[in-house]
This record gives sequence, structure tokens and C-alpha cells, in this order.
Amino acid sequence: MNLLVLSFPFRSVAVLPRESKMAQQVELNALNLQQLEMLKNQLDQETEMFAGSLQSLKAAQQKFVESQQNLDTLTPSNQGKEILVPLTSSMYVPGHLSDVKSVMVDIGTGYYVEKTTEEAKAYFKRKIEFCTQQMEKIQPLLQDRASKKQAVIDVMRDKMIQMQMMQMQQAGQPTRA
Amino acid sequence: MAALETMRNQLEKKLKEFQGVQKDLQKTASTRSQLDVQLNENRIVKDELELLETDSNVYKLTGPVLVKQDLEEAKANVGKRIEYIEGEIKRQDATIKDFEEKQEKSRKELTTLQQQFQQAQAKAGKA
Repeated sequence: MNLLVLSFPFRSVAVLPRESKMAQQVELNALNLQQLEMLKNQLDQETEMFAGSLQSLKAAQQKFVESQQNLDTLTPSNQGKEILVPLTSSMYVPGHLSDVKSVMVDIGTGYYVEKTTEEAKAYFKRKIEFCTQQMEKIQPLLQDRASKKQAVIDVMRDKMIQMQMMQMQQAGQPTRA
Repeated sequence: MAALETMRNQLEKKLKEFQGVQKDLQKTASTRSQLDVQLNENRIVKDELELLETDSNVYKLTGPVLVKQDLEEAKANVGKRIEYIEGEIKRQDATIKDFEEKQEKSRKELTTLQQQFQQAQAKAGKA
């Protein structure tokens, strides 16, 4: 039977999140400090989410790469060779590589497909490319949020300085009796 | 003084209410994003199944065993699953909208109350 089961690492990947309400153009200067703080928190959350997605995608891609590389050992010259099959992570039983032509690929949600090694390689190539594409989509979003956050922080700082100045001026005026 | 005390109690009650709505909203939002992930995975599987030759062997993991499945049947099952999840997402979206409205209403009430309380406090301080 098919010895190699190639796992599907996509489970944890939330691909592109919805474009949030942030898209609307807001005049930062028109917002008060509390609103700016909320905006900053939202941007923080989004940045975190994108960074997380990026990391999961990278991990998923790495798994696909590993699976693809493992396929390279399934050559006709390796047929019939003795191998150790892991029953658990610390116990192995001897076995023979009886089939080097086909593998079972986990395509997600519990579905497995029998593929020839060539088909499986093509599958992994596709998946690796898919990961790259998704990452390329997320990268600019991440940068966009970072620059927006910087803008918000700048405005917040200006406002705070203004407020301090006003307070100092008020304190400087003699209080009316 | 007593009036100030009742206001304070009212304020605390409103604050708890607001925090409750906020929590509900967060919970629904996280369910929503989980559904998103599931939908995504199912879509990927569907795409993959569409690419297969008609004579491909497809198996479904049920418990610890792989059960052989007809390709067309598998496609239909995944399709149904996608439909179900999409429906569920719509439902969650409606709930989220509902909670958002509630949150906004609660926030406004809270701010008004807070202002009233501060005014009353300032008055009491002067007196």
C-alpha cells in the first residue's frame, strides 16, 4: 500500500481577511484623542492579524516544500529497500518500500487522493505557488497598516502637545477672584 | 449626595451592560472568523477535486480509517458543506451587525450618563 501520507498544513491559515471599514477616508485631525486611540487599537489588531496570517502561510509553505522534497526519495531504484516505519514518534518497525509510484495526499477537510509521484509533485508545486501569491497579497496590506498607524500616532502626539500648551496658558492666567 | 450615589450606580450598571455587549460581539466575531477559515479550506478542497481525473481514487477520513469515496459524491459533499458554511456566515454577519448596533447605542448612553455624572459631581464639589 501507499506508505507516504502527505499532510495538509492549511488548517490554521486564515487567508485574506475582509477589507475592513478602515477603507473610508477619514480626516485624522478631525478626530479627538479617544477616537484616535480606538483607531490605533484597530490598526494594531489588523497588523497583528496580517502578521499572523503571513507566518502561518510561511509555515504551511515550508510543509509543502518538505513533502515535495520527500517525494524525491521515492525513486524506482529505492523500491524494495528496507525502511523503518514510525508507529509513534519513538517506536519504529521495519518495512519494505513496496510502492514508489503512488502516494496518498491529504487535500484538506479529511479528503485524501491517490496520486502518482509526478502528480503529487505538481500538486505541491501548485500549493507552494499559492502560498507565495497569498503572501504577496498580504505584504502590502501589512505595510499599509503600519504607515497608517504611524500617521495616527503622529496626529495623537501633535494633539497632546497642543493640549499641554493650552493647559499651560490657562495655568499662567491669574484666576479671577 | 444621595442623587450622586444613584447616578454612580446607574453608571456602573450601564458600564457592565456595555462590557457584556462587547464580549458578545467579540465571541461572534471569532466564530465568524473560524467559519471563514473552514470555508477557505473547503474551497481549496473543492478546487483540488475539480482538477482530478474522473478515475482518481478519493478517500475520506472517518475516524481513524480512510473510506473510499466516489469522486462525484465527494464533490457534491464538499459543495453542500460550502453552502452550509456560507449560510452560517450570513447568519453570523447578521448577529454581528445586531451587536454592533447595540454596542453603539450602549456607548452613546454611557457617554451621556458619564457627562451628567461629571457635571453633577462638579456642582456638588462647588456647593
